[in-house]
Amino acid sequence: MFDPSMVPTPDPNPLPAPYWVFKLLLVVTFALHILAMNFMLGGALLALLARWRQKGSQFGTRIFYDVAKKVPVMMAATISLGIAPLLFVQVLYGQFFYTSSILVAWPWFLVLVLVVCAYYGFYFVSYQGQRRHQAVGRVMLFSTTLVLIIGFIYTNNLTLSQVPANWAQKYFSSTSGWGLNLAEPTLVPRYLHFMTAAVAVGGLYLVLIAWSKWKQDQQYARAIFQLGGKAFLYATMSQFVIGFWFLFSLPKALRMIFLGADSLATSLLCFGLVAALVSIFMMSAALKKDNIRLAALGVTSVTALDVLTMSTMRELLRMAYLKPYYNPQQFAVQTQWSPFLIFLVLFVAGVAFWFVMLKRYGLFSKTKAAQQ
Amino acid sequence: MNYPVWDVAFGAGLLMALVAGLHVFVSHFAVGGGLFLILTERKARRNNDAQLLTWLKYHTRFFVLLTVVFGAVSGVGIWFTIGLISPTATSNLIHIYVWGWAIEWVFFFLEITAALLYLYGWDKLEPKVHEWFGWVYFVTAFASMVVINGIITFMLTPGNWIANHQFWSGFFNPTYAPSLLFRFCISLALAGIYSLITASLQKDAELKARIVRWGAIWTVPSLLLLPVFAWWYIRSIPQLLWVSARGAMPTGTHFALLACLLLGGTLLLVLVSLVRPSRLHLSLSLLLAVVAFGAMDSFEFVRESIRKPFVIVNYLYANSLYFTPMPGDGGFTVDNISSAGVLQTAKWVQNRNLTQDNQVAAGREIFRVECQSCHTANSYRGIHQYIVLRHWDQDKLHAMLGVLFMMHNNVMPQFAGTDAELNALSAYLGSLQSMNPPTDLHPVGKTVFEQNCSMCHQARPDDHLFTNMPKDPQTAVTALSSLPAMFPIMPDLKLSEDERRALVQWVDTQRSAQAATGGN
Repeated sequence: MFDPSMVPTPDPNPLPAPYWVFKLLLVVTFALHILAMNFMLGGALLALLARWRQKGSQFGTRIFYDVAKKVPVMMAATISLGIAPLLFVQVLYGQFFYTSSILVAWPWFLVLVLVVCAYYGFYFVSYQGQRRHQAVGRVMLFSTTLVLIIGFIYTNNLTLSQVPANWAQKYFSSTSGWGLNLAEPTLVPRYLHFMTAAVAVGGLYLVLIAWSKWKQDQQYARAIFQLGGKAFLYATMSQFVIGFWFLFSLPKALRMIFLGADSLATSLLCFGLVAALVSIFMMSAALKKDNIRLAALGVTSVTALDVLTMSTMRELLRMAYLKPYYNPQQFAVQTQWSPFLIFLVLFVAGVAFWFVMLKRYGLFSKTKAAQQ
Repeated sequence: MNYPVWDVAFGAGLLMALVAGLHVFVSHFAVGGGLFLILTERKARRNNDAQLLTWLKYHTRFFVLLTVVFGAVSGVGIWFTIGLISPTATSNLIHIYVWGWAIEWVFFFLEITAALLYLYGWDKLEPKVHEWFGWVYFVTAFASMVVINGIITFMLTPGNWIANHQFWSGFFNPTYAPSLLFRFCISLALAGIYSLITASLQKDAELKARIVRWGAIWTVPSLLLLPVFAWWYIRSIPQLLWVSARGAMPTGTHFALLACLLLGGTLLLVLVSLVRPSRLHLSLSLLLAVVAFGAMDSFEFVRESIRKPFVIVNYLYANSLYFTPMPGDGGFTVDNISSAGVLQTAKWVQNRNLTQDNQVAAGREIFRVECQSCHTANSYRGIHQYIVLRHWDQDKLHAMLGVLFMMHNNVMPQFAGTDAELNALSAYLGSLQSMNPPTDLHPVGKTVFEQNCSMCHQARPDDHLFTNMPKDPQTAVTALSSLPAMFPIMPDLKLSEDERRALVQWVDTQRSAQAATGGN
């Protein structure tokens, strides 16, 4: 039997801002992180797909290199945007997160090594390009596989962090931290749910790339649009199987929060499903009518909302998992006003300044005024 | 003991040292190297030096690939690793400084973006706009150092935070300013040192010579300034903290010496590279980098060893016990555990009650939750080697564990637990012994001293052992038969009469030798 008192006691320091502030920051920054991750991983997978299918399409190789060149930047974005949710999850759920990480310590630590290898691999592809066509394909496949493994380790750790009842047996059978969480029934569907989403959102990334090239070279842009749009379509459709598999792999009490027991969770699921359906129809229409604007603006907006909805659902699911062990009221709150305000000001100014940087770089101007 | 302990056979501390050591060497370069890029670009453009610009473009790629990839990932790596090894300290640092970390994240995000745009902008942007990105990069990189420096120095000198728990009191602590200047100086020196690596690969001898000389302008003055800030830094650390780093186990002193030596070596190698700058070879530039790496990591080791036995000074011990009881401490203080027991307080142990049969198993668990944050049984800072060297049996171990806090100049916290638990821990550590302690019929005084006294005493005339031991040999031999009777704080070592006699004789010889040299 599991002794709930084994859940570590949080440290004595009060929360330096109200609970909801961290909750909001956690959900929003996680959604941003996952979007960047999807662009990176989905982009890499679709680049590989384009390369393999090149026999039927004259643009396969070109798409591969165009997308592959952007993957390292998306990797940088994924890591940079991942730091914030990593920080806020420790603020709110440290006692669960540290513990599960320790139970899978070696795989968790290896994430660092894998990230460095995958990252350098992506840069190799981006810099070597067609000069070493064969090697580049293999390296791309290697790096992408590493990212898939990293995702798998994350799913292992985060599912374990939500089920303290499985901790003791795991730890006392081996304290070396070499385990994973393979016995977890939700592990595979959850992992597939996230990875399939990466393909869908990666498809949208290709649509956005196609949109930026639409005026210059429509034929080529159309090929990217078709590849990205279809990837989005099929991946999102398959989520109706994988997503429900994930839902039904959850213990009944947790599943029910999405099926009526909790009105917020249920409405979010309904909204998420409707948004997914809408995005499927929109994308399908856009592909048929060759309407890149509808795909780039319409589907992207709906999907962005959907990702935010799903991130919120993920948080509600975690709350439901941890309900027996976790009470948000447990936190004493003592707001550190001056550093908090400095953060807020810097954050808003930072986002604005970030756009200024992109603008000065010439990212928004068609004529690229900043160019020599 | 609040969290499970990750059992790393070769020592979790080594893993931490590896990740952190590599990270600081790259992350400091990321700051100084940013200023180097921008000032070198200006210099090259002012002098219409196309060759230098071409090299700088190449150097930028090296810079970004190293700092944005390895630097950034290893920085996150430190978080991953300390979370695995010191979850309690990490959790505290996160809750105390969430907004510090969050502010640093904003700067970091801008820094990474600027680095990438600076790199990709080489062929794309007008010189002015390109330089602007360089400045944005440097300012944001420096700003993230400004923030993180507050949190790192807080761990060593938390200052008034201990009393008032105010964010800024801990942030702008006594070592904040000297540490920032010291680290910035290191980062400028590293900018020059790293530039030699890509310079050494240049074919054009004249260009190579120009870069080497330019690099030296960054390295030499920074290295010469370092001792000034180091001195200020040292002066800002409370004297009391230095005690544990000096004396009987002078880890801090050793590393400080090593740091000075390697720093001198770095300077020397830079000067060597200046003798024939046009012929700088890759191997010399790499050797220079390795020596500088050694110097820098030695400094980080000094900082860590001064901090012992704490991870946050006067707040949290390295083994995750709080220094003083406070609301919400979960009972994880030495005082509480000494009365309630480790096995009852720790969350992650299986042997809750001690019996005749589970002494070694329970002792092993006590070792895991209480000692393993720094020690291993057989490997890094291994206890096995330590006790074999001193021929300690279980009784002696028990006596020594009782006075942990006095050993090696207070480098360790006091043992927390009941007497029975202390027995169990001694039983476990005793079981590591692979040989029986030899019963020496003719003990040598110096060996008796080294094996039994040197953990707390030093062979110096002003040490208590030398000043307080009775002058009359027979009285001394009798007095040593019960150490706690001499001083209640002393461990009951139960030295044999032969050992005591040998020790007294040796102490006497030392005294007369010292008197002789002192009298001359």
